[in-house]
Amino acid sequence: MANINYKTYAMNAITPMKWWKTWIVRVFLFILGAIKPLQKDLVQLSFIHFARWVIITRSKFPHAAQQQPKEELKYDYLLFFSNFNGTWNQYIDAFSAVLSRGLNSIWRWSEKFPGSVPVTPFKQYIARCQFDTDYYYTAYPYAATNDVKAAHRVQSALEAFEKESAGKSPEEFARSYLTFLVAVQRDLGETGKAPIGT
Amino acid sequence: MSKLDATDIQGFVLRGYGLPFARYMFLEIADAHSGQVFIGRLLDQVTTGEHWDAGKPEWTLNIAFTHKGLVNLKLPDASLLSFPVEFLQGMKARGEILSDAGENGSEKWDAVWRDGRVDIWLAVNSKTKETLDVVCADLQRLMGETGGAKVVDSQDAGAFFIDGHWSAKEHFGYTDGFGNPDFLGVERDTQPGQGKLIADGTWAPLATGELLLGYADEAGELPVAPIPHLLASNGTFMVYRKLHQNVATFRRYLEENGKLYSGGKEKLASKFIGRWRDGTPVELSPDAPNQEIVKDKQRNVNFTFGNDLEGWCCPIGAHVRRMNPRDAFGFNGRLINRRRITRRGLPYGPYVPEDQPVRDDGEHGIIFMALNASLFRQFEFVQQQWLEYGNDARLGNEKDMLMGDHEGRDRYTIQGTEDPKNPPFVCGGLPNFVELRGGDYFFLPSMTALRMIAAGTVDPR
Amino acid sequence: MANQSGNVYGLTVLSPILQDPNAETSHNCAIRMNLAGLPRDESSPFARVSSTHMARLVVMDDVVYVGMPSCEEHLKSQYLVFETNFDGDLDTYLARMAGEIPTEVDGIWQHCWGYPGVQDVGAFISYMKMCQITTTFYFADVNNKTVQQTLRALQTQAAVAEFIENNQGRTPVELQKSFADFLQMLRNAPPPIPGRPGTGGPPRIETRMKWATKN
Repeated sequence: MANINYKTYAMNAITPMKWWKTWIVRVFLFILGAIKPLQKDLVQLSFIHFARWVIITRSKFPHAAQQQPKEELKYDYLLFFSNFNGTWNQYIDAFSAVLSRGLNSIWRWSEKFPGSVPVTPFKQYIARCQFDTDYYYTAYPYAATNDVKAAHRVQSALEAFEKESAGKSPEEFARSYLTFLVAVQRDLGETGKAPIGT
Repeated sequence: MSKLDATDIQGFVLRGYGLPFARYMFLEIADAHSGQVFIGRLLDQVTTGEHWDAGKPEWTLNIAFTHKGLVNLKLPDASLLSFPVEFLQGMKARGEILSDAGENGSEKWDAVWRDGRVDIWLAVNSKTKETLDVVCADLQRLMGETGGAKVVDSQDAGAFFIDGHWSAKEHFGYTDGFGNPDFLGVERDTQPGQGKLIADGTWAPLATGELLLGYADEAGELPVAPIPHLLASNGTFMVYRKLHQNVATFRRYLEENGKLYSGGKEKLASKFIGRWRDGTPVELSPDAPNQEIVKDKQRNVNFTFGNDLEGWCCPIGAHVRRMNPRDAFGFNGRLINRRRITRRGLPYGPYVPEDQPVRDDGEHGIIFMALNASLFRQFEFVQQQWLEYGNDARLGNEKDMLMGDHEGRDRYTIQGTEDPKNPPFVCGGLPNFVELRGGDYFFLPSMTALRMIAAGTVDPR
Repeated sequence: MANQSGNVYGLTVLSPILQDPNAETSHNCAIRMNLAGLPRDESSPFARVSSTHMARLVVMDDVVYVGMPSCEEHLKSQYLVFETNFDGDLDTYLARMAGEIPTEVDGIWQHCWGYPGVQDVGAFISYMKMCQITTTFYFADVNNKTVQQTLRALQTQAAVAEFIENNQGRTPVELQKSFADFLQMLRNAPPPIPGRPGTGGPPRIETRMKWATKN
């Protein structure tokens, strides 16, 4: 299934917006980008590697050659691309449960958006607006974003420990090692394949 | 919300009976008509959720159906097709989702499950073995009389009788039976810690629709349910799993690692599950078991992990923490509330005291049953994402230590501190302590629905 | 700068796809067939453009019709969506694509309007920039580590977990020596390969025999 590469799912969605609502979304996305604490829930959920929203206004679809017919559209379009961990249902359940206000503020300007709560019509809308990935590559397929962050913490801790314990007596070394263990003990989960998507 | 009509709901759904003996009979339906007659004759004996004014009955009876069972009873197609997909497929077909592979794969199951022969689960619980035998013999006679069904397999289970009284222990020596959730409208001895966390730090019952069909669930929706309403309402879904326990391997593993772990063997055992073997929650008493806490209903399930995000008291991958993370994922527990299950079950096989020899291939295990309104969203999710995987707990691919399918190579990390009695410790080379020997998904109808099924009057619209 | 988050750049390119009613296979189908044959692991062309964290290619056939009372409308062309997340700046990345995976780029983008080929790197870069859409909001969970740094860290994590398990209960003298050996092993470990399923860490020791013998 080309949407999934081991632990990561490539979701693509497109929703139409009446042109005079587009600037509202731009403002919300700008605020979200500029005010970091607003992103804290997203960071806490910790299952997205990279995600982006891309607004294409109706006249801005790329026109790469003279002979290419020009688009004549009434709506502006909001594209959404996410690289997330977990199953499709799990992802949307989590967003609906804890991030509904934020989601609503971005998507309510899209035509016929039903709201992110309750969750079933929300899932139906996403299924309507989602289009499938044809090719998906990730440099670290066995690692979820949690794994990546844990790995970086272990790397830093190891570097610090290496420096700190150099030239110590065995007893002092063993004590430092214990401190090191306590520092990394939450971050040692093995990486690997993900459970099957549902 | 309106009060639940407990007499319409099967008693098994609303309460753990606490009766020491059980026999689960698995039936094959002979044909639709005589099957209906058989069920009709059973109706008066099925135990409902009605209040027991005169104390516990001598015995109880409950009934549930696989999808195949409902097909064989010739429910209308439109009703049959309206059941949730996972129930339609049955547990064996969902094996990949549940990580039921390798040692837990269906090729290794007991024949009755491997061959998918079960239509009906008929469960008798009783106070004595004699009563059990008498009741079951009567039921068999009824089957013969009506020609409606026959027993293709049966499973006995029962509590251990240790030191002169009935015990809640299971084969690995852990005291079981804590932590079933509270639901709105279900009459029960509520204990703080069973429900969901709310903003002020207290506990509230979960939405009724997390347990019963026909009621709003935690997402404010009605769970997927078959049509018509009357067929679904007050019913629920059950997963039945026969879990064989490799008691010899467990005891050896605990003994050998207990020598290496400076907190000692019992403390190590407590770190596997998150409770000492006597039932004391590790989160409330990390250094020693404490029977006072165990006996105190206000305390024995009343804890959170918010002050133990490092895992120093209760390891992050411990069983109770995996099954109910409470506030460990933040957001005031909102990611947890739709993932709770209600457990029933009893150990099977003879109890072997710790100082007696025991074999892995002995009949020792636990009959695990979980009740939930949505198998997909509740049991299957917990099994797939929290038991056989660890990403939500930030543990990568680490699995539940006792229940996971380890293939001899996984490790379990116990977080510790610099205190020599509570060190970090890695349990490596994990074998499979528990093996799945079979099971399936069942639908437990309400009394009304049972009457409709017996009378053949299920009408989709 | 909306396209960037920390050190990671989020590039979104929509390339209009040629439409030729006389072609035996339509261009969008040809792209799909090509993509279906591309390897997704360490043999992926994007593993060679090794600053790529994650990349996708999607043939977007049309806009979506969400139902009444919205109006139904359609795109006149299909678009090839290229969404990629990489380290460094845009020009360098595009130049790497042209230089290191020219055959694959040709194979895909030859089906698009105005594609100039990769021989003239400048023209290729201009073409891609012409088709680029500015990312309105870009979120990157980890935006300050390169692909190599992340792969190394994953390798270290696996190795450290293995070391801790194997050295439990050692005396301080043994531990210190073992750790010195470990650091050496880690330093000499070959650089991990992007796109490869696996941790790049040491192989896990099979300890099954120790515990699983049933008696």
